[in-house]
Amino acid sequence: MKRKILALITGSLLSGAAMAGGYQVNLASQRQIGMGHTGTGITTGTSSIFFNPGAMSYLRENGVTIGASGIISKIAYQAPEPSGATAMTDNPIGTPFQVYGVFGINDKLKAGLGIYTPFGSTVNWGNDWNGRFALSELSLQAIFIQPTLSYQITDQLGIGAGFVYAIGGVNLQRNIPLQNSQGAYGSAELDGKANGVGFNAGIFFKPSEQLSFGLSYRSKVDMKVSGGDVTFSNMPTSPAIAGRFPAGTEFDATLPLPATLTLGAGFMPTQDLTIAVDVSHVGWSAYKSLRFDYSQDVNGSNYAENARNYKDAYIYRIGAEYNLSDVFALRAGAYYDGTPVQEGYLTPETPDSDSRGLSVGFGYKLSEDLSIDASFLYINKKKRTDASDLSGGIAGTYKSVAYIPGVALNYKF
Amino acid sequence: MKKFFYKPSILALAVGMFLASCDPEIEAPSISAGSQLDLTKYVAVGNSLTAGFQDRGLYREGQLSSYPAILAQQFETVGGGEFTQPLFSEAEANGSGYIKVGSFVGGIPIPEPVAAQATRGGTLPGGAEALTKHLEPVQNLGIPGISVLTSASAAYGASNPYLERLLQPAEVGNKTYIQEVLESQPTFFSMWLGNNDILGYALAGGEPANVTQALTDTTIFENIYTNFINNLTANGAEGILVNIPDVKTVPFFTTVPYNALTLTTQAQVDALNAAYGSGALGITFALGPNPLVVRDPAAPAGFRQIKSNELVLLPALEGIAGQGYGSQVPLPSNLFLSESEINQINDYTSSYNQVIRNIATSKNLAFFDVNNYFNTIKGGFVMDAVTYAPTFVTGNLFSLDGIHLTPRGYAILANEMIKTINAKYSAQIPTVDATKYRAVLLP
Repeated sequence: MKRKILALITGSLLSGAAMAGGYQVNLASQRQIGMGHTGTGITTGTSSIFFNPGAMSYLRENGVTIGASGIISKIAYQAPEPSGATAMTDNPIGTPFQVYGVFGINDKLKAGLGIYTPFGSTVNWGNDWNGRFALSELSLQAIFIQPTLSYQITDQLGIGAGFVYAIGGVNLQRNIPLQNSQGAYGSAELDGKANGVGFNAGIFFKPSEQLSFGLSYRSKVDMKVSGGDVTFSNMPTSPAIAGRFPAGTEFDATLPLPATLTLGAGFMPTQDLTIAVDVSHVGWSAYKSLRFDYSQDVNGSNYAENARNYKDAYIYRIGAEYNLSDVFALRAGAYYDGTPVQEGYLTPETPDSDSRGLSVGFGYKLSEDLSIDASFLYINKKKRTDASDLSGGIAGTYKSVAYIPGVALNYKF
Repeated sequence: MKKFFYKPSILALAVGMFLASCDPEIEAPSISAGSQLDLTKYVAVGNSLTAGFQDRGLYREGQLSSYPAILAQQFETVGGGEFTQPLFSEAEANGSGYIKVGSFVGGIPIPEPVAAQATRGGTLPGGAEALTKHLEPVQNLGIPGISVLTSASAAYGASNPYLERLLQPAEVGNKTYIQEVLESQPTFFSMWLGNNDILGYALAGGEPANVTQALTDTTIFENIYTNFINNLTANGAEGILVNIPDVKTVPFFTTVPYNALTLTTQAQVDALNAAYGSGALGITFALGPNPLVVRDPAAPAGFRQIKSNELVLLPALEGIAGQGYGSQVPLPSNLFLSESEINQINDYTSSYNQVIRNIATSKNLAFFDVNNYFNTIKGGFVMDAVTYAPTFVTGNLFSLDGIHLTPRGYAILANEMIKTINAKYSAQIPTVDATKYRAVLLP
């Protein structure tokens, strides 16, 4: 049954659309999205599984949360001046989701399971733009499955850790600059399933009713594709050319999903107001190159590699929640997410730049056991011009925005 | 009202409108011809490169992607006037006929001819087939084959089928190309002329068989070229002059290496050494790549091994592969350029280019140094994730004749010219997306 559900999830949902630094997708909880995606230094309910497993032990009731966001994103492109060439992505709506369940084994020890989508990207530039020989379409998915244990050592201190098993896949399509006798360009599609392992651990410290701190570490996960399929189409048919792009080629690749270390704090000046701040360090420097190893020579080489040389980046977040009444809470937040992409390394797959996020949200208790959270996040990435001469990218100016509404249902028992 | 708002269709519409108005925007660069240019009437002056010639022929597709057509299209975005070309009709789209790649044998592309469609029957003096007439005035006056020398000859219009097709019957043989150009009265012109004053000689391997294959005397070149520009600019027209590339950057002269004779067995080596006097003639062979044996009347035995700085012409490829050229049979002297012939070509090229640069300076015209451009890209470059180089078939720039460009190559050159014009005349004319134009088609 579980396998069926997972198959359904992976088959029908796309995770994210590269709407944080690099291909990270920071959309792990609808309540926290409303608060600028803070949450390491406070108790966030079941989603502490993601934000800080150390805080999970503070949950007083068993609970289940299920939620999803819809990422509506667009990237505009303009070729370097004086070219008049422009392009706009036609990305499908990304649907990152999250499912959390927490069960109290006893007062001190809690067990939980989280399934969430912290990385992913779906970019569709189409087959007409001038960069189609670098990329026409990319879809990258990663779903993390994280069983977690959390123990409250004292009233002030909780620790927790979870094992992460990640599944996902990559699909990359690009044109090949070879034209058959009809003038059609060849194309290559790389498609493969990936998996990897990692962990998520955290410490939560609550010295008083007004103050709390948290530290969490989500490890790097190397997503490995083994035996993915390479498919060539529309190629010239003469053996001298077609033979260089053999059918049945497979590829191996590893994409690092970087480690994230987050320090958070929470201030509760009154019973109805929570203010949270987070600072994250994302270990993007693990992403040195994008390399595909082929099972046989493709155009004379058994691999293709492009430098990425990402650098570590910081994310600064602030958010607040105010309880207007016993059943209704309003939230707002903001963050600044530094880009890991260095000058000269911009690519059309993640035309990243420093991004600013603004969020609002609300929570509403339908009953003692049932509540909903809704959020809306607006992301605006700084316009960025790059020569893209070190990454095999496409030179030009890129600008991205995203609108991300989301909703979640929480059930306590 | 509230009830209606919640109707999904209205909600979807509202969301759709909101999102459409929130697309990311990048401010478009401002475009303008500036205050110094009058692009009302652009006329292109030149030879085959200007006509859009490629793959050993002039045909409609090549004409449509000629660099003047691309320039004019971009000029129109900043208020430039209409541009007419002597296009072959769609029914005669194959024009003069051309070649395509039929197949590959041993990695070498084997050309397959595409028959001419725009012939009207009969031949011109000199033997060329007459082409379908095009008598309406045109602005692309690129005439394949024309040189600076022949541009001043009234008789030339009778023998060149591309010029002949543009002339009224009474004008044939009585009107120079220069007159034809001056009558068009451009407000802006491009002139890329002079290649054939050298190429005739170079393509003949430095063995001119007739007068059009001789190098044009530099004084005559200077007089005709200078007069031409003086007359063309008499009414204040602005323009861009383009000089002559180095033959060493053109695949026709660079594809076949000097040491194209590869020997893989000792038996081959021994047989050839024995056949060439066992070293007595100064000709020896070894395993691996060897310099080709070439015919040279000045050499002791009438042949010698080619030097590493000498150039083998592209058509030698077939003979080397199939007729023992360069090994058992010395390569005919019209299939390579000797050191002294190359020196002569270089001397003439730089003299002509000095003339072109001088007149561009004195008339204050834009000047595109294509000679320098091809030298800078000799090692290749990457643009939009595509590799380009001045290499045969694989380089994406040159067409199957190894001399003329592909539509993509012409588009890239047009962009370089636009950048030159922008810089000279303080204009902001947009360049074109070169990936929209094709390179070599492969079977």
